[in-house]
Amino acid sequence: MPADNPPDGFHRVDFDGGRPATFNSHIGTLYAKRGPKGTRDEFVLAFRVQPHMCNPVGGLHGGMMMTAADLVGTMGGGTLSGLRKFLPTVSMTFDFVAPAKVGDWVEGRVEVVRQTRSLLFTNIYLTVGEEKILRASSIAKIPSGEGQAFGKARLDRSAKVAAERPTS
Amino acid sequence: MSIPPGFRRLTETVGFAAANGPWFEKVENGRSVRGFVVGPQHANALGIVHGGMLAAFLDSAMGTAVWHALGRRSVTLRLSLDYLGPARVGDWLQAEGEVVGHDEHVARVRGRLYGRRHDVLAGLGAFALLSRQRKLRTGS
Repeated sequence: MPADNPPDGFHRVDFDGGRPATFNSHIGTLYAKRGPKGTRDEFVLAFRVQPHMCNPVGGLHGGMMMTAADLVGTMGGGTLSGLRKFLPTVSMTFDFVAPAKVGDWVEGRVEVVRQTRSLLFTNIYLTVGEEKILRASSIAKIPSGEGQAFGKARLDRSAKVAAERPTS
Repeated sequence: MSIPPGFRRLTETVGFAAANGPWFEKVENGRSVRGFVVGPQHANALGIVHGGMLAAFLDSAMGTAVWHALGRRSVTLRLSLDYLGPARVGDWLQAEGEVVGHDEHVARVRGRLYGRRHDVLAGLGAFALLSRQRKLRTGS
């Protein structure tokens, strides 16, 4: 099993805060990076391809790609739009452009196509290096009011903090 | 949660399918129906099954439908999904696919994922057919 070894700027996403693992943790580990507003890296979700994410031929499983793209659409789309609530996915289309293999570092980015009062339209790409492996388009519902209470995922910066802490 | 009669546990799964199982299958009159019981590991913090899990499961059922209908292995080219209703922890969910058309290279498949009382996910997919000679090297 390759080490995740996330590149600089990526932090593990803590979905469950010590509670029993939900799907996002179960399939993981997932990492995220937050870049400056308006840049390509404003929100990036990423993971290292591990054997438990693969199909019998040793390639990244389509289900894992779709799961990551779904998360990029809702977490990333919500982040870019400043929506701080749970956005349930209504519809998604995926094109499986290229495979990925164990050890690849996969990154997901989102573009907000349009935001209406009740819907969020996004495009999502998963990439390995410069190569696109999945193209997806998504429609998510924007719940009225505050939306459903939802355990907020947060970036676990403790590893980084520990590394930066002076040893003396 | 009891598994409905006729379903066999898929024991040959590895990787993603094994990590998110157990998955079950029933083959009747040359058609396959797959099922699984929703556990907490399939759900989000609201106790609703993750869209990615539903997508993965329907995709597997649709790919299996290609195998049963055409005797060809396939890989997913495109999948369009509409989320119709939520499914929850403890639910027994089933998924099946139907090949609605194909040529030498691509099969078009309609898919449906549903619980005991309601439809959960509707899918339409294009699956690239692998050549009949090609053997999948499994177990890696």
